[in-house]
Amino acid sequence: MTAEQIVARIQKTLLEKGITWRAQTVDTFKAGAPATEVKGIATTGMATFDVLRRAAAAGRNFVITHEPTFYGHTDETTGLRGDPTYEAKQRFISDHHIVIFRFHDHAHALRPDPLVAGSARMLGWTQYASPSEPRIYVLPPTTLGALATEVARRLKSRAIRVAGDPTMPVTRIALGPGYGVPALTSSFDVAVGGEAAEAGGNAEYLLDAAAIGQKKGLILLGHMMSEDFGMKEVAEWLQGFVSDVPVEWIPAGEPFS
Amino acid sequence: MTEIDLSRRRFVLGTAAGLVSTRLGRAQSTQLTAQVVTDRIRAAIGSPWLDKTIDGFKAGDPSTVVTGVATTVMATLDVLQRAAAAGQNFVVTQEPVFYGANDEPGNRAQDPVYLAKKAFIDQKRLVVWRFSDHWAARTPNQSAAALATKLGWRSNSTGGAADYLIPETTLGALIADVRKRLEIRGGLRSIGNDGMRVRNVFVSPGGPTVPSTAEALRQADVILTGEPREWEVVPYALDTWASERGKGLISVGRLVSESPGMEACAVWLRTLIPEVTVTAVTVSDPYWRPQS
Repeated sequence: MTAEQIVARIQKTLLEKGITWRAQTVDTFKAGAPATEVKGIATTGMATFDVLRRAAAAGRNFVITHEPTFYGHTDETTGLRGDPTYEAKQRFISDHHIVIFRFHDHAHALRPDPLVAGSARMLGWTQYASPSEPRIYVLPPTTLGALATEVARRLKSRAIRVAGDPTMPVTRIALGPGYGVPALTSSFDVAVGGEAAEAGGNAEYLLDAAAIGQKKGLILLGHMMSEDFGMKEVAEWLQGFVSDVPVEWIPAGEPFS
Repeated sequence: MTEIDLSRRRFVLGTAAGLVSTRLGRAQSTQLTAQVVTDRIRAAIGSPWLDKTIDGFKAGDPSTVVTGVATTVMATLDVLQRAAAAGQNFVVTQEPVFYGANDEPGNRAQDPVYLAKKAFIDQKRLVVWRFSDHWAARTPNQSAAALATKLGWRSNSTGGAADYLIPETTLGALIADVRKRLEIRGGLRSIGNDGMRVRNVFVSPGGPTVPSTAEALRQADVILTGEPREWEVVPYALDTWASERGKGLISVGRLVSESPGMEACAVWLRTLIPEVTVTAVTVSDPYWRPQS
C-alpha cells in the first residue's frame, strides 16, 4: 500500500459521499515520494517538525496534515532554500522516508465538518448543536467567565484569549474552525474559533458593541486548539476504509507556552 | 401665510445663504479642513502616494473644518467618543473603522452596532481617515522604532534596521518587562524557554512575514511581534526548536504592537499641523485569560 494508493482511496470514499476532488486545491503531496510504501499513517493538525519526529519514532511514515508543512498556505518553498530550519526539516523528511499530504479543503467539505465536530466534542458541546442553524450551539445559561474557564480546562490550554465582559450572560455560541471565526452579529452571544485578524473584525465589533451597551464575547482558542482535535476525527474516519496499516492521531498541540 | 411674508422669508433666507457662502469662500483659503490636513500629510510623507491604497477618507466630509486631530491604532466607537468629547473631530486611524480591510460593512450593513457607530460619526460631524499603507512605508519603520522606544531600547545592532541589541536578559524576564511596559492584560503569547538568553531582538509590529522573520532570526534570538499567523511565523518559530536553533517568539497582539507607532504619529502630525491639538487616543489590550 503506497501513499498515493491511500490518497486514491480517500478520493473514492469522498466521491461516494458526493464530494468531487477539486481541480484547484491545497490538498496535495507536500514532501516525499507518493509511491513510498506506507507503514503507518499519522493525522495531525499541523506537520510541525516535532510532529514529524514523533511520527517517525512511532513508525508512521505517512503524515496527513490539515495545515501547511512549510509555513505558508501554498507550501511554497522557493524563498526558504538555505534557511537552516527549513533545510533541517527537509533533511529529516528525506532521511526518514516520510511522505506528507495535506488534507484541508476536502476535510472541510465533509458533513459534518470534522474540524468543527472535533472541537465541539472536546468542548462537550455536541449535544447542544442547534438543529437548524449551522455552527450555532445553545448552551445552558452561563457567563463568559465561567465558559472560558471551562473551555481552557477541557482543552488543557495555556494560551486561550478572551475578550468581553466576564460577567455577561451566555447561551448562544457560534463555533468556527481555524481562521474561520464566525463574525459576531446581534444573533448570538459569543464567537469561538482559532485565530482571527484583530483589526477590522470581531475585536473591533465587540468593543463597539460594548460602547452602546451590547455585550458580546470572543474566545480565541488558537489555531491548533481549534483544529488539532478535528484531525482525530479524520483518523477515525480513515480507519473506516484503511485497515491495512495503523492510523493514529498525533496532535500538534498548542505552540505557545 | 401671505405672499409678502413668503417673499420676506425668501429674502432673509437668501441673505443668510449669501453670508454663509461668503464665509466659506474665505474659509477655503485660511481654514484647516480635513482635506488640507491630508494634503499636508501627503506632501510630507516622503514617498509617492500609491494609486491602490486602503488609505483615505472612510467617513465624514473632507471639507469639514478641523478643530482637533486624534490618532489611533483603531477607530473604535469608544475612541470616537473620547475624541469627540475632547473636541477632536478628525480621526486618523491605522486600522479599519468598519470591521473589514476595505471598510465595507458587508453583512453588517443593517447591524445595530454598525448603524450606531455611523450615526455617532454623522451626529458629531467627525471625519475618519485611514492611514496605514503610507505610515508603514516610512523609513525607518516608525512603528517598530516607537515600539522599541516604548520598551526602553535604543537602536541599533549589527543586523537589520529593526534588530535591537538589548542588555542581556532571559526570555522570561523579557516577557515580564514587555507585559508591564505595554500594559498587556491577556494578549501576550510566547514560544521558547523562559531561561533562554536574549541579546538581539527583531521588532516587527503588526503581522510579520515568514521571509523577514526567517532572515532576521539568523541573527536575532527573539522576534517581538503583534499578530503572527499560526500557520506561518508561529510554526516557523516552533520548528527552530526541533532544528536545534531555539528562537523565541513574543506575540503581543496587533493593536498593542502598533499603538506606540500611532503615538509617534501624533508627535509627527504636530509638526505638520500646528494650528490645532493632536492627541493619540489609545486602545488597550482587549484580551484577558480564563482563570485556571
